[in-house]
Amino acid sequence: MIAFSLRLAVSGGREAVARLLMIAAAVAIGVGLLLSTVSSMNAIDRMNARQVWMNTGAKGATAAAPADPLWWHARMDYYRGESVFRADLAPTGPTSPLPPGLTRFPAPGEYYASPALAKLLRETPAVELGDRFPGRQVGTLGEDALPSPDTLAVVTGRTADEVRAMPRAAGVTSIATTLPTDCEYDCYGAGVHGDALVLVLTVVAAALIFPVLIFIGTATRLSAATREQRYAAMRLVGATPGQVSVISAVESTVAAVVGTVVGFGLYFVLKPLVADVPFTGARFFASDLSLTPTQVAGVVLGVPLAAALAARFALRRVTISPLGVSRRVTPKPPSPWRPAPLVVGLAELGYFVADHPKTTNGQSLAYLSSFVLVMLGLVIAGPWLTLATARAVARRTSRPATLIAMRRLGDDPRAGFRSVAGLVLALFVTTATLGIMSTINVNRGSIDGAPEVRKAVVATPLLGPERPAVLPSVPDGVMARARAVPGFEGMALLHDNPAGIGASQYGRERLVPVLVRCSELAQIPAVGHCAPGAVVAAVDRNGVLDLQAHPDKEWPAAPVSAEEVAALPVFIVYATTDDSQAAKEQLRTLFTEAFPAYLTRMAEDYASEGQKRVQGWRQLANVVLLTTLPVAGCSLAVSVVAGLSDRRRPFAMLRLTGAPLRLLRRVVALESALPLLVVSALAIATGFAAAAMFLKAQMGYDLVSPDLTYYALTGFGLVASLGIIASTLPLLRRITGPEAARNG
Amino acid sequence: MTPVIEARDLALAFGETPALRGASLSVQAGEVLAIMGPSGSGKSTLLHCLAGILVPDAGEVLFEGQRLDRMSEAQRSALRRDRFGFVFQFGQLVPELTAEENVALPLLLNGVRRGAALAQARPWFARLGLDGLEQRRSGELSGGQAQRVALARGLVARPRLLFADEPTGALDSLTGEQVMELMVASAREQGTTVILVTHEPRVAAYADREAIVRDGQARTLSAGSVAP
Repeated sequence: MIAFSLRLAVSGGREAVARLLMIAAAVAIGVGLLLSTVSSMNAIDRMNARQVWMNTGAKGATAAAPADPLWWHARMDYYRGESVFRADLAPTGPTSPLPPGLTRFPAPGEYYASPALAKLLRETPAVELGDRFPGRQVGTLGEDALPSPDTLAVVTGRTADEVRAMPRAAGVTSIATTLPTDCEYDCYGAGVHGDALVLVLTVVAAALIFPVLIFIGTATRLSAATREQRYAAMRLVGATPGQVSVISAVESTVAAVVGTVVGFGLYFVLKPLVADVPFTGARFFASDLSLTPTQVAGVVLGVPLAAALAARFALRRVTISPLGVSRRVTPKPPSPWRPAPLVVGLAELGYFVADHPKTTNGQSLAYLSSFVLVMLGLVIAGPWLTLATARAVARRTSRPATLIAMRRLGDDPRAGFRSVAGLVLALFVTTATLGIMSTINVNRGSIDGAPEVRKAVVATPLLGPERPAVLPSVPDGVMARARAVPGFEGMALLHDNPAGIGASQYGRERLVPVLVRCSELAQIPAVGHCAPGAVVAAVDRNGVLDLQAHPDKEWPAAPVSAEEVAALPVFIVYATTDDSQAAKEQLRTLFTEAFPAYLTRMAEDYASEGQKRVQGWRQLANVVLLTTLPVAGCSLAVSVVAGLSDRRRPFAMLRLTGAPLRLLRRVVALESALPLLVVSALAIATGFAAAAMFLKAQMGYDLVSPDLTYYALTGFGLVASLGIIASTLPLLRRITGPEAARNG
Repeated sequence: MTPVIEARDLALAFGETPALRGASLSVQAGEVLAIMGPSGSGKSTLLHCLAGILVPDAGEVLFEGQRLDRMSEAQRSALRRDRFGFVFQFGQLVPELTAEENVALPLLLNGVRRGAALAQARPWFARLGLDGLEQRRSGELSGGQAQRVALARGLVARPRLLFADEPTGALDSLTGEQVMELMVASAREQGTTVILVTHEPRVAAYADREAIVRDGQARTLSAGSVAP
């Protein structure tokens, strides 16, 4: 029977072959996208794995091993808003563990740079970047050590004494191979929040893969009506229902097998393009885009099997008798309990507004599980909502087009919703993500800080378990070199305050201000000013490091003389510039070189670190929307065309009896656009509601409307989908002509 | 007496294949005319030309004295919607609509409000022996029931002309006869002219007059004549 079915599938004339090719092409596109998505997820995993070594020394990341200790000190530096990972190393013996990407340890005065950093060093004046790394470059870091081809990283050789003197330096006997259990200070590399990341990626993968699977499923249903008529003819000549099932399954499977093979080809063609998509803000190594044997087997076996099952399932909708496809079995309507998971998910988020989890991991799991529940809830509730809306409209309408469209939707709301489910998920993810981002940005000020603050270059001690080592003084030579930098505008030294002058009590915490001479504070007006007549001001440290400018802030006078302050150690070095990147990076390089135990930062660094991850999620949300959009559009187009083809005869009959073509167009437009618009509105509303509850629960913020990009993307998504629906309408004229009614 | 519809020397070819070759026909108001002929003779094509579904390559179709063949597609569609009714062999009910909504559809298409359209549709169920089937879908009706629903739909808007193309072709003889009886009786009751295409003499026997189409040409027989 299978052999006969195979022969039938491939030698059924031009129409059969065309149908086979059409389904195979749709499956190929689906499989190509599916493989690209899965391999991207693998690449993100690998990207995270490649940077685990950067967490060496962090708690729980580095195991003890019988080896000579390696003195290790890692920090994050920045150049023009880009992070530069930097590790200072000093091996103490031949068995000291060698980090990945190196063939040997750099000797003191040598360093290895990542290819991207090496290129940047070649193209940038040394006073802006190269002078931060003492010595000479002796090689490039290998791919094993780099999450992305764009990663900026450097490993410098130092003496053991030099490294040991740095805050947070550690003598390690192995390189980190697992994620740290806790990040007390800095953990370098995006993969550190393991559980949360896995959950986020799961959500993203679901949001990407789900529409692709729907598309593949829809594609295998193409031309179902024509096929069913053929099966009826076979029943007439004696084929049993079981045999018809086999023939149908074989036909779908043949198309799916051809599509899967071509899909793999498509994946290899797409691979270099996908590698350049910055899913998490950075490009992938093309070699990281790969598939596991299980995934390959899953697709190779799963897609044809799913196609066979889909064909079998589809035949349950019709009873194929020898006299034709005589009866439609109306599917059971979706249960009214379907909105329950959605309501529970939203209720869970609402509960957290009143009582949110206390630990970071607890919060991640709680919120992500709520978001996953809401997403699943949307998909589960979608058909019921489609049914409820369709029934409500059909009961009231007097317009024949609306009546036909709503009855059709009510007849099979699952099919009506299925074609837009992908878009709905994408809209929810994007709305929630961008709603959260925008609110955080508005509440925390501009992502890069206020304009006056952006001009500043600030050196502060690296934090560590002990009290930070402050500078006894700033050498005159450094001051002179800073003043000589083109674009330099002013500088203030904010001194340590061991006597606790002007300290205040904030709960159990004692806040000790830093002390600054008023003549110097006047040079950094963004921080504030002294009281009239004061000589020294006591300035809150947080006020100095704030991303917002406070030019009107009047700091209290400190009862200490200018000379006494000048003799105190320096806690913060604060310089202002004309806002040119060259001036800022030159000052940063100068301070980094002069104060190795200090971290020199600018407002834009906070964006590149604190909010870069948020930007990464935002990027991911955009990628989800932009990837899902064409896939959902294709599904929509295929399902509209399949629906038209299925109803060719009743539509032709309607036209024949005088129903104008515009009525039929309205039917098609309504039955596609209604679920799209209704469920999109619900997805957007749910996205905003989820974002609002998350923001209230976690940060106490009120939701702020996202920026124009969100509305542009959403509008584009909906308009494109409506455009796709509209593009199928010209088909109506052709397939509902008189000949359709004559020929059946 | 002026005929309600008249075909004069109709010619129509599908590509190289001629379907009508100078077919002429005239039907009086209130008359029931059966068009008969062997398969492929052109009888359905003639019906489609009379109904304005197809436009002949040559010849004239006059409906109440107006040249139907010269009307635009939109005008012919409006005519089919407002003045004509149709019953075909199968597949004419919109599967998602209930039987009641299917019957009301021509009225809704003419802009009648939903409530009024359904109110006009309901009496047809009792008249055609379809009581209790109002909320059924086409998939839940037997062939005979579906055909009677289609008949109700064809007549509900009180059309001037009812075109029936093999209306009993998919039914057994007993059900076919029931449908024919109901069709003819209902049409006569409201003064609707019926033109039906059939190749079954038993169905044609319900007509007042028969026209034979052979090789694309029509020959009208007088009442009482027996088709060859």
